[in-house]
This record gives sequence, structure tokens and C-alpha cells, in this order.
Amino acid sequence: MAGALLTVRDLSVGFLTEQGLVRAVDGVSFDLEPGQTLGVVGESGSGKSVTAKALMNLLPSYAQVRGTVDFDGRNVFAMAANKEKHFWGVEMTMVFQDPMTSLNPVKKVGEQITESLRVHLRRSRRDALAEAGDLLEQVGIPEPGKRLTQYPHELSGGLRQRVVIAMALACGPRLLIADEPTTALDVTVQKHILDLLDDLRRARGMAMILITHDLGVVKGRADEVMVMYAGHTMEEAPTATLFAEMRHPYTEALLETIPRIDTPSHTRLVPIPGRPPEVIDVLDGCPFAPRCRYSIARCLTDQPGLTSHGAGHLCACHAPVGTPSGIQARSANESAGTTAAGLDMGQFTRNVPVADLGQSGAEG
Amino acid sequence: MAGSGTAHLRGHDDVVLRVEHLVMEFPAGRHQVVHAVSDVSFDIRRGETLGIVGESGCGKSTTARNIVQLPPPTSGRVVLDPGTDQEAELTALVGEDLRQVRPRLQMIFQDPISSLNPRRRVRDIVGEGLHIWAGGSDDEQIRARVDEVLDAVGIDPTVAANRRPHEFSGGQCQRISIARAVVLEPEILICDEPVSALDVSVQAQILNLLEEMKDRYGLTLVFISHDLSVVHNVSDRVIVMYLGKVCEVGGADTLYSAPAHPYTRVLLASAPEPASTVDESESAIGDEIPSPIDPPSGCRFRTRCPRAEARCADEEPMMRSVGDDHFVACHFPSLG
Repeated sequence: MAGALLTVRDLSVGFLTEQGLVRAVDGVSFDLEPGQTLGVVGESGSGKSVTAKALMNLLPSYAQVRGTVDFDGRNVFAMAANKEKHFWGVEMTMVFQDPMTSLNPVKKVGEQITESLRVHLRRSRRDALAEAGDLLEQVGIPEPGKRLTQYPHELSGGLRQRVVIAMALACGPRLLIADEPTTALDVTVQKHILDLLDDLRRARGMAMILITHDLGVVKGRADEVMVMYAGHTMEEAPTATLFAEMRHPYTEALLETIPRIDTPSHTRLVPIPGRPPEVIDVLDGCPFAPRCRYSIARCLTDQPGLTSHGAGHLCACHAPVGTPSGIQARSANESAGTTAAGLDMGQFTRNVPVADLGQSGAEG
Repeated sequence: MAGSGTAHLRGHDDVVLRVEHLVMEFPAGRHQVVHAVSDVSFDIRRGETLGIVGESGCGKSTTARNIVQLPPPTSGRVVLDPGTDQEAELTALVGEDLRQVRPRLQMIFQDPISSLNPRRRVRDIVGEGLHIWAGGSDDEQIRARVDEVLDAVGIDPTVAANRRPHEFSGGQCQRISIARAVVLEPEILICDEPVSALDVSVQAQILNLLEEMKDRYGLTLVFISHDLSVVHNVSDRVIVMYLGKVCEVGGADTLYSAPAHPYTRVLLASAPEPASTVDESESAIGDEIPSPIDPPSGCRFRTRCPRAEARCADEEPMMRSVGDDHFVACHFPSLG
């Protein structure tokens, strides 16, 4: 697409293991405009972090990567890591989940922030240190001069994550990838960090990919949301559209299964039976079909592709929520008492134990 | 509260556990002391679920461990079944007497995989308590009982009983942990962040299962979590803790619909989807939690509190009633 900062086409990442080929990411495509935020939502094993690492060229050499990634017209995978070292960490940077392990425990905060300034932008030690102080101030750290001379263990979790963000912003990136940036932090700090990222993005006109397992985090913060499951994109839409007219049964199930802060106590939660699939198995059908309330015979044999449901709204489903085929599929399943995949529909309403051991017995 | 007091205790009326003036201090070297829990009191009625919510370092897990005397608190009383002939003051018992009471209290933990012994089979893990405590039962009876409980938690005993923990997912391991805890028919089940390590799609299964186990085995639950939404969903009554003190206690729906303590309001405003009863701007407070080695004078929350005044530094607020089963320790609470 013209004007896109980042264009990802048919990205697939596989890892060969003793059990077989793990398809961690399977045919993911998206575009990101300059200054926009893309929220990527998924559970563990959905491929969201592997996608980020593929973009950052951080995957181990044995990963089998296919597809193309263009950053501002340049093919990222064609760049040689040693020659293009001023790309990663300068134009595209990343913030990880755990701020303690992202920082070097035996180096002072000041040294860690100035490192990239000195290496990539060839600043003098004195200039770099002054810039690092400014950066700490921008990320809302009080007494930046004092913090520069401290070690990571002297800072709280929230401050550490702010330091990590300052490091990521040091060289003025055009794209920041934040992988679960607040999962390890307390709730009161979490909101501050998310708001900070949003403010900095606006102020700098930077694009951002915000990766999270929590739909609540992307609501109101991302321009677009991509929902991933088992390495596939299930649904992608402008954020408001996604929450107002979700089409994928997985998106709907995720929203319904999470307790809301305002619902009365002891409201029974709608479970998602079973558990995420092993991405080793090659599935003929939709990866969510075994857990889906809408599944029809076709879902088990025929993997759905992404189809359009309005402006910028893509969904990979044979029986999308709220469409005639989806409404019909669900009511047929309800009256049959079971889905095409053999899921007992009663468990969504009745008070019965739900076996996530289910059909398959134990994980092998 | 960051306050003290016992105004929120409810007498003997069907109370299954009473905790009074619980204090836990850990030595921190150089004659310093970590004030992990400082004068916390609460009680739990039979069949009730008590939620304890707060940020890391607020003392919620330490409180849970003090209840089961692992380790025993520095001071304070923990009484099981007060006012009945089953009454046991856990803090006064030692050795064999304490051991005899232990099966009445069980715990499940955050990380389901590390809380199961990887070398043992599921049947032995779940059945161990019975082998120790069910005097007179033969192996066949124990076997039947383990199968029954495994079945109740949604694990097929014919498939799973002879497997080891690594063959199960996190959600399944948490089910096995629950089976191990309920097989002894405890009076109280203490759950310390039981769903925090699980995927969101599995979380609801475990929360629903806990509700079912509570009905089926007549359990009383202590449910500890940092997740406000989860605590609201499972609890009848909620305690909000901050830096080793209780801020606010109330019925779950009361406390969430009319939060009176400034800290409770901050928590509710900070959730990814803030509660409708507070304004999102109320989340604006400092990030730094004071050190529990040298906690602030007076109200411990005052250093971050938007409403703090001079009085808060001088005088520790005491628990007081602000409504029907709703108590707060604050000099300047928000009252509807």
C-alpha cells in the first residue's frame, strides 16, 4: 500500500523440533501507516511475539522464515545484519515485557542509554549523557541526573520500564514494537506506562505495534487491532469497529470470557472450552474450530481465508458472528446440543464442570 | 488505610476464621525490619469467598501464609471456628497439635506446574493427603475417592491418573492442584493468585470450577489476586490492602459500586477498562511505593494519596463503618 511505513506479506515462521515443524506464525500480513498504532492481541502460543521478533531480526538462525517485510520501501529480510546495524535499534526498536532482564544489571542506567547514541549516532560521551538526561525527563523520571548514575536494581519496576522505553527512543525510531510492556507491572503503574507510550508516540509521530494478551489494553489505544490465534490472523479491524461489530467467534469468546470490573459478583463466566492447539499439528480446518460455538462441518476440513467485512475489516471465518451464516450456525448448534467438532453446547449455559482435558486426554 | 482497628469484625456469627491484629515482620539486616503485614484483622463466614486485592508488596500473600502458619506471624491471633467446640487457635498451637489442624486449611498457588512434584503420578499427588489422614481407609477406598475428585475437577481419572505433571497444560495442572486441595474436604481453601499464570481463555474455566467446588464441598474461600475484575467476580466480600495495612473492607458489589478509600478508587481507575464508578483521571498518582522497611507515619498511603492532609501524617486512620457492611480506614473517604 502506498504510504505504508511497514508492509508485512505472508509472514511465516517455523521451528523444526524433535516433534515436528512448529508453525509459530502462518501467513500473517498487515500494513502499518506512519504514526499509527497496531494492537496485536493473542494468547501464549498465538505467534504474536514471534512476529515481533521476526520484524526485529531477533529470531535464532534455525528459524525458518518466509514472506516479505518492507520498511519504508526497504526489504528488511534482505538486509545483512552486520551491514545494516544502524537500522535495528535506530529506526525500528523494541520494548520487552520484563524490564529487569532487558537491562544489564552491572551497568549504570546512563551507560546503557548512551550506548546506542554513541554507537549509532556517534555522539561524544558528554553529549550522549546530556541527551540521556533529556530522555529520562521525557519518560517522566524525576531527578534524571541522579538516576543516570544508578544501577537497575536501585529502581522500581515502573522506573525500570521507563528506562527501557528511554533506551528504545534514544535514536528517534520511526517504529516502536512494545511486546507486553506492562504485563510484569502493577495495575497503577501499568496505566501510566501505557499512557506514556501513547503520549510519546503522538509527540514524535512514531508508529507503534502494541502486543498484548488483554483486549482491554488495546481498546482506546490502538488505531487497528489484529487478533491472532495459533499463528494465524483471525480478525483485523479498526479498533472501534472490532469492539462494536466483531465478526470472529474467537474475538467474541475472548471478550465474553474475561470478567468485567463492573459486573456483579458471582456472574458466571462464559468459558472457552479446551485449550489453544499445539501448533505442531497441521490442521486442515480452522484452528479455533474445536473450541468454537459456531463451528460447522466445513470448519473442520477447510481453513477459512481472510474475507472483507467492511472498510478495513478482515475476518477468517466460515460462520462469522452477526452474519446470517453465523447466526444460523450457532442456532443450529444450539438446537443440536453439539457443534460440528463435537463440543457440548450445554456447557455455555449449564453449571457443569468443563473439562479442558476434554476429548484428547493429556497433552503428549 | 492504611489503618488499623477491628470495627469490621462480625462477632461469632457463623464465622469460620478470625484473624486479629496480625503482624508479620521480617529481619532485613542491620537491625532493620520489613513491615510486611501490620495489624491486619478480618473474619470470614462459612461458605463466603473473601477476596484480598492489592499491588505487589501489599502483604496479601504473606497474610495467606500466616493463616496457615507457614510461617507463623510475629504476633496476632488466627482462630479457626471461633466459639464452637471445634475452635482452634492456630497461633497458639505448635508441633503435633498444629499438624492435626492443618488438613482443615488447604492452599493452591499461582504457578500450577511448579506446585506439583514432577516425579510423581497424578494419582499419588492427589492421594497423598488421604494416605496420611484417612485412617482406616484401605487403598481401594482411597483410589475411589481420588478418582471421584479428579472427575469433579474435570480430569478423566482413567486417562490422567497414571501420568505425571509435565504431560498436562497449565490449566490442567491447576485442576489437579485443586483436586489435591479439596480431596481432604478442608473448611477453608486459600487461593493465592490461582489464575494469574493462565491464559485468558483458560482462566474462566478455573474460576467457574472454583465456584463449583465451593458449592459441592461446602468450602470457604480466601481468594488473593492483583486483578480487580477477577476478585469482583468471585468474591462475596473484598479487602483492599496497601503496604501491609487494610484500606477498605466491604461486600464485593458495595465496594466496587461505592469505593470510599482513595486507594481503592485509584485501583479501580487504573484497570485497563476503568470501573464506571470512578473517573479515569483518578489514576494519576505517583508510581513509587514507599519502602516497607520505613513505612510512612500515620496513613501509609498518604505519600501517594491525592487527598492527603497534615492530619494523615500524624494520625493513623482507624477502621470505621461508612455503610451497610462497608468499612474504610481513611480520614477523608469519598462518601456517596
